[in-house]
Amino acid sequence: MILLQVLTRLLAIVGKELVEAIRRPAALFSLVLGPFLIMAIFGLGYDNSITPFRADLVVPPGAGLSTNLADYQPFVPPGARLDSVGTDAAAAEQALRNQAVDVVVYVPANLMKTFEAGQQSTIRVEYNLISPAKADYATLLVQQLAYAVNEQIIERTAGTGVSVLRAPGSSFPIPPAVIAAPTRAQPENIAPNQPSLPSFYGPAVLALILQHLAITLTALSLIRERRTGVFDVLRVSPVSAFEIVLGKVVAFAILGVVIALALLAVLVDVLGVPLLGDPLLIAASVGLLLVASLGLGLLISVVSDSDRQAVQLALMSLLASVFFSGFLLDVQQFVPVVQGLGDLLPATHGIRLLQDLMLRGAPPSRGTSSPWRRWQAWP
Amino acid sequence: MAGDPSVAIAADDLGRTFGEVTALEHVTFSVTSGTIVGVIGPSGAGKTTAVRILTGALAPTSGSATVLGHSCSSLARRTRERIGYMPQLFSLFPDLTVGENVDFVASLFGLLLLRRRRRVRRVLELVDLWPVRGRKASQLSGGMQRRLELACALVHEPAVVFLDEPTAGLDPLLRTAIWTELHRLSRSGCTVLVTTQYVGEAEECDEVVLFSEGQLVSVAQPDEMRRDATQGEVIELQTRDVFDGDRLAGLPIIRSVRQLSGRELLVTTDNAGTGLPVILNAVEDLGGVVTSSREYRPSFDEVFATLISRHRATLGQPPDGAIAR
Repeated sequence: MILLQVLTRLLAIVGKELVEAIRRPAALFSLVLGPFLIMAIFGLGYDNSITPFRADLVVPPGAGLSTNLADYQPFVPPGARLDSVGTDAAAAEQALRNQAVDVVVYVPANLMKTFEAGQQSTIRVEYNLISPAKADYATLLVQQLAYAVNEQIIERTAGTGVSVLRAPGSSFPIPPAVIAAPTRAQPENIAPNQPSLPSFYGPAVLALILQHLAITLTALSLIRERRTGVFDVLRVSPVSAFEIVLGKVVAFAILGVVIALALLAVLVDVLGVPLLGDPLLIAASVGLLLVASLGLGLLISVVSDSDRQAVQLALMSLLASVFFSGFLLDVQQFVPVVQGLGDLLPATHGIRLLQDLMLRGAPPSRGTSSPWRRWQAWP
Repeated sequence: MAGDPSVAIAADDLGRTFGEVTALEHVTFSVTSGTIVGVIGPSGAGKTTAVRILTGALAPTSGSATVLGHSCSSLARRTRERIGYMPQLFSLFPDLTVGENVDFVASLFGLLLLRRRRRVRRVLELVDLWPVRGRKASQLSGGMQRRLELACALVHEPAVVFLDEPTAGLDPLLRTAIWTELHRLSRSGCTVLVTTQYVGEAEECDEVVLFSEGQLVSVAQPDEMRRDATQGEVIELQTRDVFDGDRLAGLPIIRSVRQLSGRELLVTTDNAGTGLPVILNAVEDLGGVVTSSREYRPSFDEVFATLISRHRATLGQPPDGAIAR
């Protein structure tokens, strides 16, 4: 008898929970299908392509090598794209500092003479990257670019005949090691800071936290007040809808700024993340990130009919940000449509701005990876 | 009606539907400035819908309404500053203290610091919440939460105040205190529209609006509504011996006679003052001896039930709850 009563009570609770869940199909839909939707977008949108590093080759006039771009193209490794071959080292370096290119290969001025003298030359290769993963990749790529130059030298040498290998007046042949590798690469990262992985992801985590905080606070505040009838009281009062929304946005922006300051202090003072950029620009970036995130929170509050659904949508936006904002994977590894989806997330821009401002000390360049350029390139 | 400055609230053929459900239809009434109007009716009669339309929180689907001469559909800020509203459900801020809640609402209505402080204290003392002004609203009892909402509705000294069941859940002493305050407000020129689940409170009002099934059943002063329910004035007679009331039915001044017991009668007449001597003589002429007579005033619960029952009968619905004696 007691067992039956316990069972009855238990079944009543089970039934009530099931009925409540089923009667909110939108919440159930977003709970179950939301993450699947994001995974589906991720699966369909990820094209596994690596954005090639943009490279410039500087060949001084006395180097004895071709300055024709086409001559080098067959030797350029996958993962790199040789944009130009020139003779102006200063211009190339400026382009690198402006992030118009990712890598510059400087051929030494006396390359052929050094080679003919039986000595190996050193090719200086500079890149400008703050991402540790990209910097590691660039190191590998630099070696391949050096091979491309070597290929050029060897091909040219072979064209001039064996006499070069035993130059007139020389008493010894060019050593085989030098023939095999006339040059060796000496990579150098000229980025103002080469952060560790935790330091590199610090600003990105800050952007994600601020976005999630702003979205959740705004959405929940509006949903609760709408559902509890507070809006009726506000509607009757002489407060306009604009004032209500503005008041909330300002309040949550203040809260967000305080939290941003606290997190920045932890990042800089405890974790040692560098803060190289102009504090005003960093503050402006945090402000823009918060305002955009608060706007997204307002949107979620409009389309949600309960606290539960608002929380789910806020979490979905966080999940989408982890995948599509450039937090884990480069946005250019996705198809353009998904890149556009990522551009709708405030975190995409916040991560980019904060990483460059904090770690590089300058705002992001308008390189090919900027949303602006992507929109311009849109068909 | 809308242009008359003596009219604080006016509804003209007001209607509101929610999908297939008609919450309010063809409601027309007006409220004179400085009076207390009680809106009564069974649950789901349309009281709250009417209040929400009149406060501008809800748009009507037909008809129009005005408050202080301005259309409720587009109340200007100046007009809103003169309106107070207390919703039916607790809809303030549970994480704010009692004082902070009232102060916040006062700020919304533009009260500056000094006046705000004075008014917050005044209304909190009125609703007996001043001692707990530092307590979070979420930690108040249901009755205290109602009082807090009332304080918020009154803090800016509105010209018209809409109170949706302000006394629900309150003990009789507090209900009395609140009605005393409402009368004080009324005397100071404030118009009070109050819905109540305590039908007896209708007697506190200058005028009563009775809703049923989304329709207006009656708008009258309490005594008029009582007369309407009893269809005249009622005299209660007690006789020394058993007396058959049906024997009075032939008298022209008598509308109806109800036998309560062998020695007790309720006689309905147009005018109790002029009718009583005639009825007493008639009883004596018929061999009866009247031991006591007095005007019978049915309670407002009875009046309410009678009128609602009668209205439902006109709609072809069963007169459940009819208790007219």
